[in-house]
Amino acid sequence: MKKTRALQALHVSILSLSFASLAEPVRGEEEAQTRGEAQPGQNDPKALTLLSLEQLMDVQVISVARKPQKLAESAAAIHVISQEDIRRSGMSSIPELLRLAPGINVAQFDGNKWAISSRGFNEVFSSNLLVLVDGRTVYSPIFSGVYWDVQDFPLEDIERIEVIRGPGGTLWGANAVNGVINIITKRAKDTQGGLLTAGVGNIEQDTELLRYGGKLGESAHYRVYAKHFDRSHYDRAGDNKPNDAWNQTRSGFRLDWEPSGPDSVSLQGDTYAGTSGENINIPLLSSPYSRTLNDDVKVSGGYLRARWQRTLSAGSDLSLQFYYDHTDRKPATLEESRDTYDLDFQHRFPWWGRHELIWGLGYRLTQDETIAHTFSTSFNPASKALNLYSVFVQDESRWMGDRVRFIIGSKVEHNDFTGFQFQPNARLLWKPAEAHTLWASASRAVRTPSRGETAVRLATSPFQNQGMTFLPVVFGNPGFRSETLLAYEFGYRSEPFKNLSVDAAAFYHDYDHLNTTEAGNPYLESTPAPAHFVIPLRIENKSSARVYGIELEANWRLNGNWRLSGSYTLLQMHFRIDPASTDTASLARSGDSPQQQWQFHSYFDLPHHLNLDAALYYVDRLSNQQTLAYTRIDLRLGWQPVKDLELSLAGRNLLDGSHREFGSNLVQVGSEVPRSLYAKLSWHF
Amino acid sequence: MAFLNRAEGMFRKLARFLPFILAVAQAEGASPSEYEVKAAFIHNFAKFVQWPMSSGSNTLRLCIVGDNPFANALEVIRDQAIDGKHWEFQFLRTPQNLDRCQVAFISVSETGKLNAIVESLGGKPVLTIGDGEGFAERGLIINFYLENQKVRFEINPNAARRAGLAISSQLLKLARIVTVGEER
Repeated sequence: MKKTRALQALHVSILSLSFASLAEPVRGEEEAQTRGEAQPGQNDPKALTLLSLEQLMDVQVISVARKPQKLAESAAAIHVISQEDIRRSGMSSIPELLRLAPGINVAQFDGNKWAISSRGFNEVFSSNLLVLVDGRTVYSPIFSGVYWDVQDFPLEDIERIEVIRGPGGTLWGANAVNGVINIITKRAKDTQGGLLTAGVGNIEQDTELLRYGGKLGESAHYRVYAKHFDRSHYDRAGDNKPNDAWNQTRSGFRLDWEPSGPDSVSLQGDTYAGTSGENINIPLLSSPYSRTLNDDVKVSGGYLRARWQRTLSAGSDLSLQFYYDHTDRKPATLEESRDTYDLDFQHRFPWWGRHELIWGLGYRLTQDETIAHTFSTSFNPASKALNLYSVFVQDESRWMGDRVRFIIGSKVEHNDFTGFQFQPNARLLWKPAEAHTLWASASRAVRTPSRGETAVRLATSPFQNQGMTFLPVVFGNPGFRSETLLAYEFGYRSEPFKNLSVDAAAFYHDYDHLNTTEAGNPYLESTPAPAHFVIPLRIENKSSARVYGIELEANWRLNGNWRLSGSYTLLQMHFRIDPASTDTASLARSGDSPQQQWQFHSYFDLPHHLNLDAALYYVDRLSNQQTLAYTRIDLRLGWQPVKDLELSLAGRNLLDGSHREFGSNLVQVGSEVPRSLYAKLSWHF
Repeated sequence: MAFLNRAEGMFRKLARFLPFILAVAQAEGASPSEYEVKAAFIHNFAKFVQWPMSSGSNTLRLCIVGDNPFANALEVIRDQAIDGKHWEFQFLRTPQNLDRCQVAFISVSETGKLNAIVESLGGKPVLTIGDGEGFAERGLIINFYLENQKVRFEINPNAARRAGLAISSQLLKLARIVTVGEER
């Protein structure tokens, strides 16, 4: 009942907006009329030349939904989330923003955790998606995944998010198996002046950000910020009250310096501390064999990144980057502290006429210390330092007057678990006509073992049989191999009409050596008491899969005030296990990701500096996660009463009181995502 | 399954509103196109740039090199004069004899040849303009970009100096300045 009414309300609003647009002048026109000047337009284009330079810079234009050069000529399935998309999404966290990209599956697990992946294999620690922030990897090698709860820097500082589906191993290295997410922050010179934002809502109970940017002399710019948020817990169907509240304080800076023409130096850093709550299940060796614990996980950390770039000549540059990253997490079961040092060098130059070569070297040292507080989870060794060496080279050449581009390259890495890994790829791009692009690619990518897969001991709830207690324990395997992927993709991009652009990609992925857990022979263990039989579940590589699908995206700018966009994703996964494997549960992994997803967005500019933005999402059921299909509607109303002030009201998940997006796992208990409302004020001073 | 039924109903309702939506799209034709605005900018640039002593001809030659994105947009400036000089347009498929143009607009289709174009023009008094990513860093004097549906431009003053052109400070202060190293 509620749903039908909501949909009806949406229809009525679309209709009344259409009338509103016919009845009232467009914002730009209104201003020009009050200034008493001729309105430039198709009726009198020559009037444009009567405008001064400053006036010309104020004219809003309709352009074809043209992507930046880089995007239109990419031989990959890429989507860029712009700062404008971010501002008008009404979303307040980075993981939520990733819903905007087609082909990305975002499932919120609880108040501060997400399962995010591309093209399948979704789980709370999704291992196949590499995520970088300004070239710094935030993918943790402990469980091969991203701790999204500590990637919460100000959304207003993001320049764009590049979402690349498909393997990116050649340029980005191991673990960029199903995709790469590249979050790029704004340069300091683009965040000058002061910014104060404050928000309040039923879930985001309070959020504040204060940022200031200025100049140091003529050639340096800086910004500093501090932010804090407090988010309440979610809902859960079931007995326990969820403990997934989330709060964090964070501050950081960025300094960009151009000491001379060809050189630029950038220094940035952040530090954060907070609490991410969760509910976990801890096994007990005697009745009731399991208890649920409310765990307030304390998290803290920070990073420092320095980058030097020099332009050698037109089309040729080199860069050197160093970063240090520290993360600390204190769950009740196992504490982890990690230090990462990374040095990266890249050089790009034209050669041999029509070619451009880019090559690089990298070294990363990551060392962790884990402290186990319960018998159920521990690492052996408890502490380890991992070295990663890498070198890559890629050549790009242009043919037939720039209509055809051919890219070929490979990355070679050496890691402490699996030695040398090769990740070659080849891509071809062809523009048969203006505004039509075809591309194809073949790549190999690997997902290297995590610390967990090689060293963990994870006990799950024991059971009784004939008076004996049996405790299943997952054991890491130091001989765990890398998972491998051979991927074949092709795509088509076009602007069939003025103001309409479409983007289609199809892929076929062949995975091998996928992780499985193999049951071994039980043995008696006397400590901790009481004595019990351990059923060892060893992590092996005895599975493979074939995955294929398509991703479609379209953008339509109807007029100067109204833009629509939509996407559709289809995914088919078929898993197999080796004859020697006992892990039949692996066969059901296709049910961890939705077979279909689609979304539809409308961005409407109303008169009087109002924006009305609406989004509709559909995500198919997850048969292996006891999660039903769901439809989500978000609405956002933004208002800029004066130039430097913006007020907005956003409603998310308006259709449902609460719904589940992902199932619980061996340890963590998930929650249901509620309806939420959020009001925000943004003031530039 | 139930959802599919709901979706069908929704699409049928939206189909009824489609004529209104399209009407709105037609009615709103009053915003100028991107290239009409860029043409107007080029006309303005010519007012704020000084070429070295010219041959005294009374035409300002604008050469479009490569694919022509302007289509009819150049009509916006066709009969407009600057200091008694009128615009003359030339459409070049290949970047030959660019030194006979006062202004050269290099289309994005020539991205691959950009380095060669910049080198061959070194020192000649041609105002090079483009609208591709990184074109100013690669040596063009003025490069357009879009920001929030508005046309903006960036200027490479070193490139202007190399060409022997003087750019008025009134134009420089409205531009994003691009600094790149000097060629060795």
